[in-house]
Amino acid sequence: MLGDIITPDLFASALRMATPLALAAIGGTLCERSGVVNIALEGIMLTGAFFGTAAVLATGNPWIGVGAAMLAGVAISAIHAFASVNLRADQVVSGTAINLLALGVTGFLMELWYGHPGTTASIQVLRPIFSFSSPGGGFLAEAWRWVNGIVFSHTPIVYITIIIAVVAQWAMYRTKWGLHLRALGEHPRAVDTVGVSVYRGRWVAVLMSGALAGLAGANLTIEQVGSFTENMTNGRGFIALAANIFGRWTPVGSYLASLLFGFADALQIKLQILRDVITVPPQFFLMLPYVLTVVVLAGVIGRAVAPAAVGEPYKKG
Amino acid sequence: MNSKMSKLVAVLLALMLVVAFLPACAQEEPAEEPAEEPVTEEPVEPVLKTAMVTDVGGLGDKSFNDLAYEGLKKAEADLNVEIQVLESKEITDYESNIDQLASAGYSPIFAVGFLMTDAVAKMAPEYPDTQFGGVDEFFEEVPPNVVGLLFKEQEGSYLAGVVAGLATLDTFDDKLNGDNVIGFVGGMDIPLIKKFEVGFTAGAKAVNPDVKVIALYAGNFTDQAKGKELGLSLIEQKADVIYAAAGAVGSGTIQACQERGALFIGVDADQYLTVPGSGDVMLTSMMKRVDVAVYDTIKAVIDGSFPGGELQVFGLAEGGVDLAPYHDFEDKVPQAIKDAVEKARADIIAGTIVVPES
Repeated sequence: MLGDIITPDLFASALRMATPLALAAIGGTLCERSGVVNIALEGIMLTGAFFGTAAVLATGNPWIGVGAAMLAGVAISAIHAFASVNLRADQVVSGTAINLLALGVTGFLMELWYGHPGTTASIQVLRPIFSFSSPGGGFLAEAWRWVNGIVFSHTPIVYITIIIAVVAQWAMYRTKWGLHLRALGEHPRAVDTVGVSVYRGRWVAVLMSGALAGLAGANLTIEQVGSFTENMTNGRGFIALAANIFGRWTPVGSYLASLLFGFADALQIKLQILRDVITVPPQFFLMLPYVLTVVVLAGVIGRAVAPAAVGEPYKKG
Repeated sequence: MNSKMSKLVAVLLALMLVVAFLPACAQEEPAEEPAEEPVTEEPVEPVLKTAMVTDVGGLGDKSFNDLAYEGLKKAEADLNVEIQVLESKEITDYESNIDQLASAGYSPIFAVGFLMTDAVAKMAPEYPDTQFGGVDEFFEEVPPNVVGLLFKEQEGSYLAGVVAGLATLDTFDDKLNGDNVIGFVGGMDIPLIKKFEVGFTAGAKAVNPDVKVIALYAGNFTDQAKGKELGLSLIEQKADVIYAAAGAVGSGTIQACQERGALFIGVDADQYLTVPGSGDVMLTSMMKRVDVAVYDTIKAVIDGSFPGGELQVFGLAEGGVDLAPYHDFEDKVPQAIKDAVEKARADIIAGTIVVPES
């Protein structure tokens, strides 16, 4: 019975489902550390998902699609950067507007380019990188099934995400750029007085979060499903925001938090298999990831302290 | 300077909102385009103006909204009626959409989807002269100007279960494994979707009593990535035929079937036609003929035989549900399976098999 649930695919599935969350969450971390709230992650992810798909449909090359998704993410996040950094608009309002904009633009362009709403035609997807053959029988083969399933069965962006998490963590705490970034979110005036541009620093952070959320969209369409559907992100951008807080505004923390949410989601799918044994309605299983979110945010992790200057527009002079 | 800036922001945001609502306008186009043809061919005044309000899935769902629209388009072509579509983006759009169409003189108005039941029940008395068709809507007391259009999804699903139950024992395709397991993917665990699951299981068990049917639910009808994960989990459990009644979630399941090698049974429309490139796994589809129900209702209104105040149930016997052709599997599927499906169909129509719905 437990053998039905605890399988290599449970952990592989957790990694797969964590990837889009983690990319967006790390993007959110960079952005909020610089002092700009980014609730537009959902919309940016959707934009990336759409333009990624469109680029693959046009060129047939999935990697060009990944690039297009990131570019689209950068482009739409530039609106957020301009509104919240230069115009000093309310960052939550600007983010909400981008979420609405993304939903509208993707639906509109879909009508315009493909002549129908709903779902696009299917595209060429990125395949898993590795494909090793299993060694002989017995214990070795069983062990190999686990290692191969959990470690080697993934598509490129899943691995890239882990690298990004580690590199971002290193950059944030071990480089001058990282020091400036963190200072931007805590005390922008101090950064300004040492001669570093607050505007430029925040612009770079917002655009980077756009690229990462766009990459998250590419993971959904170009690696996981192979087509774009309107509003297909399904609230992942908002769960990513929670993961960013749960990860205490650090890249690796965001990744691990996303992994926990991904694991909860993977586990609930496997638990549904046991519906004949555990006779509770499936809604209870479906609730699991969200209950987990509430629990961890409410108490287990203690007080999560946001950057001091997050959400506050900076006025030079 | 400051007020100038905030004005600019306000203008920018207003622009964004306008763009955000563009699709709502754009999507009315398909309703108008085809309207031009019949007018140029035969410049006769339309017999009546009919319209539909979509569910939040909207046009392009390759499911019941699109099918209802098919019914409207057929009526437009055959019966010389004027048609209109309003899409609901939020549940809160239902009433205002119905209101807008009713006050513009459209009748009958089709409200597509069980979520709209309450909106129809509320708006129908306000427009007593307008006729309403409620697709998938069950009313305890049907208002006199409303007809509830319901389907016996369990009957069509039973046939899908017969195909799946026998196919998993067979070896006509290399995606079929030796294990006696089949899978079901549902959108939300609600009575409507339960009918699909129960009928499917009953059909499979009738021809293959030992078969293990694993049913997984996504919790929504839109998350394709979740649909893929559910499919992968089913395939890991050795399921080799998967039936999905889950809207767009099913497209993700098709992807899982294509990657890991399993057969798929589509739902609502003939998904071989609506999901291009799925032919290598699409064994058949359980069609729910919303288009037939909508078309017949428009015809009834024209004939003056509108069944107001009634619930109409479309089953196998009425042609409301059925299996789609096997398409690419036509030559592979053994005659024994085709015969078993025909026998089950005849027995259900004759009433010797009564398919449970819960």
